[in-house]
Amino acid sequence: MEAATPSMPRAQPDSRPRVARLGRRALDLALKGYAGLALLYLLVPIVVIIAFSFNDTESRYNFVWDGFTLDYWKDPFGFQGLGEAMQHSLVIAGLSTIAATVLGTMMALALVRYQFRGRSPVNFFIFLPLASPEVVLGASLLSLFLSVGVALGFTTVLIAHIMFNVSFVVVTVRSRLIGFDRNLEEAAQDLGASGLQTFRLVTLPLIAPGVLAGALLAFALSIDDFVITFFNNGSYSTFPLFVFTQAQRQIPPNINVVATMIFLVTLAAMAATVLQQRRAERMAEMRPDDL
Amino acid sequence: MAALRARKGLLPWALLAPGLVFLGVFFLVPLYYMAEVSLKEGSLEEGYRLTWAFDNYTNAISDFSEQFIRSFVYGGTATAAALLIAYPLAYAIAFQGGRWRNALLLAVIAPFFTTYLIRTLSWQTILDDASPTVDFMRTVGLIADDGRLLQTSGSVIAGITYNFLPFMILPLYASLERIDKRMLEAGYDLYASRREVFRRVTLPLSMPGVVAGSLLTFIPSVGDFINAEFLGTSNQTMIGNVIQSRYLVVTDYPTAAALSFILMLIILVLVLIWARVAGTEALMGAEAK
Amino acid sequence: MSDRDYERIFEEALHREIDRRRFLRQAGVGMASLSAMSLLAACGDDELGGGKKEEAKQISGGKVGGTLAFSNWPLYIDIDDKTKQRPTLNAFKKEYGAKVKYTEEINDNNEFFGKVRQQYAQGDSGGRDLHVVTDWLCARMERLGYVQKFDKSQMPNAVKNIEPAVASPDFDPKREISMPWQSGQVGVIYRSDKTGGDLTSVNDLFDPKFKGKVTFLSELRDTVGSVLLADGKNPEDADLNTAMTAVEKIEKAAKDGQIRAFTGNEFTRQLLKGDSFAALGWSGDSVQLRVDNPKIKFVAPGEGFMVFTDSMQIPVGAPNAVTAQKMIDFVYQPEIQAQITAYVNYVPPVKGVKEILEKADPEIAENTLIFPDLSNAHNFATLSPEDERELESAFQQAIGA
Repeated sequence: MEAATPSMPRAQPDSRPRVARLGRRALDLALKGYAGLALLYLLVPIVVIIAFSFNDTESRYNFVWDGFTLDYWKDPFGFQGLGEAMQHSLVIAGLSTIAATVLGTMMALALVRYQFRGRSPVNFFIFLPLASPEVVLGASLLSLFLSVGVALGFTTVLIAHIMFNVSFVVVTVRSRLIGFDRNLEEAAQDLGASGLQTFRLVTLPLIAPGVLAGALLAFALSIDDFVITFFNNGSYSTFPLFVFTQAQRQIPPNINVVATMIFLVTLAAMAATVLQQRRAERMAEMRPDDL
Repeated sequence: MAALRARKGLLPWALLAPGLVFLGVFFLVPLYYMAEVSLKEGSLEEGYRLTWAFDNYTNAISDFSEQFIRSFVYGGTATAAALLIAYPLAYAIAFQGGRWRNALLLAVIAPFFTTYLIRTLSWQTILDDASPTVDFMRTVGLIADDGRLLQTSGSVIAGITYNFLPFMILPLYASLERIDKRMLEAGYDLYASRREVFRRVTLPLSMPGVVAGSLLTFIPSVGDFINAEFLGTSNQTMIGNVIQSRYLVVTDYPTAAALSFILMLIILVLVLIWARVAGTEALMGAEAK
Repeated sequence: MSDRDYERIFEEALHREIDRRRFLRQAGVGMASLSAMSLLAACGDDELGGGKKEEAKQISGGKVGGTLAFSNWPLYIDIDDKTKQRPTLNAFKKEYGAKVKYTEEINDNNEFFGKVRQQYAQGDSGGRDLHVVTDWLCARMERLGYVQKFDKSQMPNAVKNIEPAVASPDFDPKREISMPWQSGQVGVIYRSDKTGGDLTSVNDLFDPKFKGKVTFLSELRDTVGSVLLADGKNPEDADLNTAMTAVEKIEKAAKDGQIRAFTGNEFTRQLLKGDSFAALGWSGDSVQLRVDNPKIKFVAPGEGFMVFTDSMQIPVGAPNAVTAQKMIDFVYQPEIQAQITAYVNYVPPVKGVKEILEKADPEIAENTLIFPDLSNAHNFATLSPEDERELESAFQQAIGA
């Protein structure tokens, strides 16, 4: 690719006209400006959400600024039903994340490291839930539960969450696994480690960041899910559902507070993974090349 | 060696089995039930009977063609808008981000850690008739004095675009970031202008990301109903609203199931085309050659 | 060549070679799974619809106590804003020793029905002992066999104190399967500072002057009934065709952009924000709105207005039906009902409440929204199930879905 073919024109001395150089600078600036605007556009609603969590509102709907207060931060779950809904969300998210991560990681391992027949259709099959609109996923699960006669509630919500999370975990873990260096495993086995030992002491720690990323994604998606849960929850409330039902009659600042809390926690967790990944990369670079 | 290979042959399937079974039971089987329900007739009082009523499908399409078309139009517009917003942003982060790349990426994704509904409600506050935003636009003349931003097609599309932006940004960024910088250098060395380098090197190489992002944005956009419900009027309803209404309000399960299936099939066709073109590995995030 | 290249080539090779074999194998698998699933389906066939048609069982005697699971609409019972306690429920616990688990899970009749229908069809109340739904849904619940019959001997207060106006609806003349919780009026609620004058009729909502600034209710009977009245027709006598004329009028207005939204309780938010100037809304909500903005007014349309009654029912399979009956009876004491009414601001179904409030809170006693003149009140005709379904379907399409 780098080698020039004989028919290429000879390179001329660097004499780009000054206008073109300014043009380049302008383009660079424009790009940065545009990106900045886009970033702003992304962040404005969030700022509004956080800001209004401090609103000393008098109306039921919290859309006019009435003054600053920390009241809602001091007692975020003081609103009836909010605490229970949040608790439900956390439980569902935790359990579904664990299940989906286990199932998904196993599948990702199989897909990346082994050649086998039917890999293509399996790939396609795992991708399907990601490609389906949430309305269809939720509604079809409802059809199943209706036809079989299962009561809607905690169990059905849990099943639904595991279902849509599995594919996300597979995709995330898989993309991290692709760069995985098999030589390390072979080296361990050369040094006398059994298959299980290799897996436990070499493979698992190395794929951990990818698995963690997948788990984190699953957790965030589960906390946030509305549509699929809406179709299958019976009367088991979760935080997004609670917001939806309450939003018709009132939107207390407590909701903004809890949303901000979720935001900050997820942000911190993601930041931690990013930092940790960077550290791992730096450590990997330090490993000697010769073996 | 035969024994070893045989064992190896089973291992991937052993790893896949639990997940596949779970997905099979809770993804495929429901689709089957939905297909079955879509061919039934009846009501809650009388019960439903399987009558192979294919006219459920034809009726569904003719009754709700408006919402179908509108969903695809909104989805397509939102995807195009998302691409316009996301591409320069992803490009800037990938090529000019430097050390701050990961932090910037995080800043870009972070807004979507707040609950979807609350974000949409937030847009209601921002685009409200009495908000500073609308005031400003009226003064500047962008909208008429009695015009409004909320409860229009524009606000629904804007809401959809906003909510699915990360699905466009991440694949775009991933594929832009993977581009070997040396190829760009080579282009410059060969005296291509910046525009040419972009057009002939960067753009084609980022295509997998563009396609992936577009598909991942388009699909959920088409099926969305929250934005239409909160930010639109009855003239902006999408097929997602219809499905929800038929299931939960009118309890007309056969029609609802038929609509869901039609939507699913159309999307499946799109995905199949993409899988053909890009290869199934690309579906899972790897690049196609 | 990278790993990925190898993968790609390998896969292409796979595809070409084993196509035929794969097709046959897949077909076989497909057949097997289809037949398995149809077996499953055959078992589940009846579960989809068709509830039990036997007579509603009467609740037999038993002990009052334990926990009572009460499902209701939001903001429909008195609550102390500071302590977050519900005085009525606490008083019930004090008197009968039964703890009340109160869930505000009902936001829309159809939505609630869609959620619980399948459980109720199997005789499982999902843990609920009491639910409160609008009368037409009470009728449907009874028709499908989803609710239990009261033992009126356990409800002396209710029998004695029920307001005559709501004591004998056509679907439940002896109030055996439903007992009113609160009633309300459907009227025009508007911002007098934005409408530049007073409104008097539902027809004002169709005034082009207010294009895009008007909201209607997503509740079929309230909206269609009100529009019928505005057209000079009687909702009590309406049949499917007459109702459809109203639906068409509404659809046209929606398509023209006259109607900004079809709401549940959100009409209050739109009015407060100024996004809408006038709304078809419920009387109880307007009382709170006037506190937020005194320029907001409620008017019961001159041509006649719709009323609605939300009633308590005991679903089949309720774990604590006996205590549920006691709760119904409990709130039919005028002192208790007065407490609820004072907070909720809807029309109480209990006699003697006005007299109590005249002493305790005269302002509320004077409020004609809470103690209205019901001479011009109307109800919606009870249609046959098929007609009802067709009307609901057409109405939903008219409002966009």
